[in-house]
Amino acid sequence: MKIGIPKALMYYFYYPFWKTLFESLGFEVVTSDDTSKSILDIGVKEAVAEICVPMKVYTGHVLNLLDKSVDYIYIPRFVSLRKGIFMCPKFMGLPDMIKGLFDGIENKILTHNIVSKSTDISEFHNYTVFIDKLGVSRKDLKNALKKARDKWLEFRTLNKQGYDINELLTSDKPKKYEGDITIGLIGYVYNVYDRFVNMDLLNVFRKLNIKVVTFDMMEERIIQRQLKKFKKNMFWEFTNMLLGTAYEFMERDDIDGIIHITAFGCGPDSIVEPFLTIDSEKHKKPFMTLRIDEQTGESHVITRVEAFTDLIRIKKYKAEKTVEGVI
Amino acid sequence: MKITFPYMGSPYMYEKLFTLLGHEVITPPKPSQKTVDYGVKYSPEFACFPLKVILGTYLEALELGADTIVTSGGNGPCRAGYYGEAQKKILRNMGYDVEFIIFDEPKKDIKGFMDNVMKIKGKSSWAQVIRTVKIVYDMAKSMDKIEKIVETKRAYECNKGEFTKAWHEITEEYRRIESSEDVKKVERKAIERLNSIKICEVPEKEKIRIGIVGEIYVVMEPSINGNIEEVLNAYGAEVERSHYISEWIDFNLIPLPSYKEKEHKILKKGEKYIEIIIGGHAKQSVGAIIDFMERGFDGVIHLKPFGCLPELVSQSVIDKIMREYDYPILSLSIDEQMAIANVLTRIEAFLDVIKLKKHRKKIAR
Repeated sequence: MKIGIPKALMYYFYYPFWKTLFESLGFEVVTSDDTSKSILDIGVKEAVAEICVPMKVYTGHVLNLLDKSVDYIYIPRFVSLRKGIFMCPKFMGLPDMIKGLFDGIENKILTHNIVSKSTDISEFHNYTVFIDKLGVSRKDLKNALKKARDKWLEFRTLNKQGYDINELLTSDKPKKYEGDITIGLIGYVYNVYDRFVNMDLLNVFRKLNIKVVTFDMMEERIIQRQLKKFKKNMFWEFTNMLLGTAYEFMERDDIDGIIHITAFGCGPDSIVEPFLTIDSEKHKKPFMTLRIDEQTGESHVITRVEAFTDLIRIKKYKAEKTVEGVI
Repeated sequence: MKITFPYMGSPYMYEKLFTLLGHEVITPPKPSQKTVDYGVKYSPEFACFPLKVILGTYLEALELGADTIVTSGGNGPCRAGYYGEAQKKILRNMGYDVEFIIFDEPKKDIKGFMDNVMKIKGKSSWAQVIRTVKIVYDMAKSMDKIEKIVETKRAYECNKGEFTKAWHEITEEYRRIESSEDVKKVERKAIERLNSIKICEVPEKEKIRIGIVGEIYVVMEPSINGNIEEVLNAYGAEVERSHYISEWIDFNLIPLPSYKEKEHKILKKGEKYIEIIIGGHAKQSVGAIIDFMERGFDGVIHLKPFGCLPELVSQSVIDKIMREYDYPILSLSIDEQMAIANVLTRIEAFLDVIKLKKHRKKIAR
């Protein structure tokens, strides 16, 4: 049996988990193609006009998988990754949305709710649906989950050591990239690592000799410590992680500036925005928002990143020179 | 302590609640272009429209001298639950030293909740608090009852504008009540008043009934949805909304199962399309569409603020419902750039489709 996984949204965070899980259960895993103009165009055409671009991309990937004659398309419903904290409503309604957009897709969708205590989603009770639907035994499922968890933790450990997710997913010998200045990049995995949607942003940084740190490279406890500053956490787990990471970046001296990459119309990010803009100013940390959508042009991204980092470089080297002068 | 609050639907209930408890109240002005301009200027660009309008409302009330804002929180995942915190951040940054009293679910933080209750209770006795809450609840029930009559009968008034005028006068009457008996008196008078307005009846077969569903703020606040109920009434269509404040109170604030039946029934109807509650009123909206359809309404208008997270999911599902049942549904996005001519044109076209459909059915018979 072939199971299709759309190369969008949480793919970038959980693919190692899902791949190991389904392969250990004896299924073939097929992913959709890399995001391309045609995938995006299909998504834009089929999805609701107002929705954010990551969701349009996802819709495009689902259709791409249908062309690959898979038996099931895996569309999990992420409900909660921490007690009392949810995900963006669009994630919680993702399978409903896909079912609503295409007639007769119901029996092609493999879905189940993910309600977990942490970002480790291997808890058995979430996957009991598979027993009937895929005809696997409890024991096999448990073993597969364990294997998947180990694989995912391995991936996350490397990730937290500073390897970016694209390196980890695409190459056997991942590389770390350094630079003369460091930018804290605040953004969801599907905005940061989807090369097509963000105009290969990470490569833009690399060419400019800039090191990038993202939220997925941060230890969870650091994020949680920062979040304690808030009386009330936000309702969306990944948004909380961005928020915690951003406050950590503001306090750290080795981060020279922060760039917030967000999709047009992203709801959670619109609530985060006042907190980041107001407090980065208080911390005197350079801050820029980079908004992407289906109409983003490459030169736009490059120009803005160049201008922002040029200013940071001027500031940094000027400061260093003054210090030398004093000595 | 000069209290103000968000403006949604009629502000008189909140005004009554705080006044009867002995507080000084600054009733915010009805949202206008000025409110929207204020809100848009100081809110994040992609925040949803209700956040902007409410922030504008606060700014206007602060200009009038308010220093305390009372509002509700929430536990998400709809953005509305975090409005208070975000607006607090923005207003403080603008230099306003304003106190926020945000009511979150007592389950999560019972102490914080009780602190807030004590602040609102002020010097009144508990007996007074209970009496006040009862009066305000009766008032909400009664006002919604009268408003429902207006929304139905206004479609057939002979002289345009009579019902709207009466309704404004009636709400002013409600504003003056002091006890539950007053509520009953005002209600009786209101019904008499409405019954005296001349009606040009239309044969039952030609009556058009439209349901309005969607995000609660844009459904309930006529000043930002282009007075959609009045517009529809003027075109000769009866209207019913999926949200009324008294029903919201029943479902969210009264801990008795019998008060929650209606909402659970609606939720059940939405389950086929949106399996779990995903925040806001997405599931209720879909359930309400099915409910209106089953009750023989001719069409539904779905309102949402631009970019609303939960309602975008319901919108994705709505197309499917339209195809499945061949049922007319019009989805309108509302934000600061909404143009009234655009809305009018779309509504007119929508009603034409409905009329044509009805006509064809009649011929087929």
